[in-house]
Amino acid sequence: MESPLSRDQKLGVFFMLFAFLLIFLWIPLDTDTGFIEKVRRQISIGDALAPTVAAAFLMVGGLGLLLFRAPETGVEEPLDQLAMRFAGLLFAVYFLCFLVMWGVGPLVVWVANGITGDALEYRLLRDTAPWKYLGFATGGTLAVMSSISMLEGRFSWRALFTGLVAVVAMIAIYDLPFDDLLLPPNGDM
Amino acid sequence: MGTLDYIWMGILSVFQGPELFSIFGLSISVTLIMIAIGFLLGIAVGATPGLAGPIAMAISLPILISIFGFSPDALLPVMGFLIGVMKGATIGGAVPAILFNTPGTPDAYLTTLDGYPMTQKGNARRALRVAHFSSVSGDTFSDIVLIVCAPFLAILVEGYLDLPEKAALLILSLAFIAAAVGGAPAKGLISTGLGLLAAYVGTGEDFYPRLSLGSPALSEGLPLAAVILGVLIVGAVAHELTTYWRERGRQDRQDDPEGRDNQGLSLRLIGRIWPYICRSALVGTVIGALPGIGSTLAATIGYTLGRARHEKRKRKGDPSFGEGAPEGVAATEAANSSVSGANLIPVLSLGIPGNAAAVFLILAAESIGGFTPGPSVFKFSTEQVNPELVIAFGLFTCMFIANFLNWTIGGLIMRAMGIMTRVPKQMLLPVVLLLTLTAIYVQETAMVAVWITLAFGVVGYLMRVYGISPLPFVIAFILGGRLEDTARQAFASTGSDPWFLFNNPIAAVFMALSVLTIIVALRLDRRSQRSAKVSS
Repeated sequence: MESPLSRDQKLGVFFMLFAFLLIFLWIPLDTDTGFIEKVRRQISIGDALAPTVAAAFLMVGGLGLLLFRAPETGVEEPLDQLAMRFAGLLFAVYFLCFLVMWGVGPLVVWVANGITGDALEYRLLRDTAPWKYLGFATGGTLAVMSSISMLEGRFSWRALFTGLVAVVAMIAIYDLPFDDLLLPPNGDM
Repeated sequence: MGTLDYIWMGILSVFQGPELFSIFGLSISVTLIMIAIGFLLGIAVGATPGLAGPIAMAISLPILISIFGFSPDALLPVMGFLIGVMKGATIGGAVPAILFNTPGTPDAYLTTLDGYPMTQKGNARRALRVAHFSSVSGDTFSDIVLIVCAPFLAILVEGYLDLPEKAALLILSLAFIAAAVGGAPAKGLISTGLGLLAAYVGTGEDFYPRLSLGSPALSEGLPLAAVILGVLIVGAVAHELTTYWRERGRQDRQDDPEGRDNQGLSLRLIGRIWPYICRSALVGTVIGALPGIGSTLAATIGYTLGRARHEKRKRKGDPSFGEGAPEGVAATEAANSSVSGANLIPVLSLGIPGNAAAVFLILAAESIGGFTPGPSVFKFSTEQVNPELVIAFGLFTCMFIANFLNWTIGGLIMRAMGIMTRVPKQMLLPVVLLLTLTAIYVQETAMVAVWITLAFGVVGYLMRVYGISPLPFVIAFILGGRLEDTARQAFASTGSDPWFLFNNPIAAVFMALSVLTIIVALRLDRRSQRSAKVSS
């Protein structure tokens, strides 16, 4: 059965509900002062007022979509679910590749320690070549290569090469000329 | 210190700033070189389909800050570079539109309507020259209007508006942006509401950081650059990538344009297109001065007005608009380019960003410090030097230097940048995505900034999918904190009067206009919906 509401109207209902939850749940539970605050007999604006104004924008916008966007105008293009899934996969790939970037350096150091018997710490090596490049090079190459492969529907050496060149270029731009810049993930290891 | 002294100091601050090198004893300041580099980069990214000026600005900002540091001396080189990118990208967008029927930037879409038919007829070079001449003319006109208007507007605001009126003016700006940007005002309101909400996470005056869900990552507020780059850049790149993926089977790219013409830009042709340039430049400047209204609307109105004039005055045998009329290219390019200068009027006079490029100028100013765009900049103090005013005149000088480059070498470089259209999008965009995330990490030095950027990238992507413009989000996110601070101060200064926005006549007028803007926009939207329904 087809919904009587258009996509925009459903969006309006979603944001009205979100604004409702914001006003009656999130803001009261997650803010310590109300709309108005009285400190030492002085009245001032509390922390809850501004987010409530934001919620009012959402509420009015949602209401506007519900009331003013005519149902089923016939001009609405259907949402491309497949494209949205592809976008979801793309974001997941970058998220995972940055996780890989974060974990590779310490992992390699741990393996190296196992082989050599040393007690190196990645945290102390994070500004020392080649250690500092391990995570960024692996995760960055993987991210570019995977997304090109997804776009082309196949793996190619060209995709891998592009990833490698991109990573080397970024190291040359951000790392080599500057002592004070740290490539991911070395800043907060 | 008089006005002329400030102007002169602004000019000197650009030409006699820190020296990079000297030629025959003539010192070349680093700001001049940065403007030139930004300008060249801008043309290159503008000419590359899928890239745009804001992407180059986002990626360059951490590098620039790292090179120049956080001192006031860094302001002019960094902002000069960004202005160069902004100007270069404006003319670069016409290159793929004319040569390959692919607009390099969204506002160059209308350029394809006449530019590409000119290419098909063998007049590609002429089309590029017309686009360049019109674009630079419109841009220069708009810059002159900016320089004349921004200080006066700022002085008016500072002279006549007190805290309640300033709070009401910010609300009016947000209402106007919400109503005017994008297709539907209701969606603009939602975008604005989301931006304000993001601005209020982890901030406030109480000890407990509001809306932080108890998370340490959110308790210091959302990083400005991570949110802006996530919504504007990552969201746009993801949308572009999915569009490419969906349409990857289609091969609508044309062969190389035939270079069989050798026609330049004759004085006769300039005389023919000049009325169209003037009219479009005026339209673009007026539209650009209103915050949030993009160059696409200016180009559409400029093109429509131009077409009406052309139909009345064209001679027999001249091509109509849409069939390769140079007047069509001129009308579009002059209109969309004249938006860029005028868009800085609300930034410099009110501190309200009007477009994505202005957002990055504000981001640079906030990151470096020492310059807060807004009415306080234009305080012509006579006893003490106002350094912000010197910087403002320095920025105007940077704009004119970029225009000079545009007039002299812009056309040549623009024609040479046709090669950028050959860069495969499926290779370029993933690299841009990695580059953006790397730039964010380098700036924030925390992995959480990358996660926040990705999360807001998802928000930006979904907004585009559902036809919600991300620009009101970004502008509201930037202005949210200032709106709350101004309202708090206004409330305190009026003795905790809860009606402070309505007691004062000017503030009340601003508030009434805010409500009226939203109501009128919603009604117009409803009418256009009805007519769409009837026609379908």
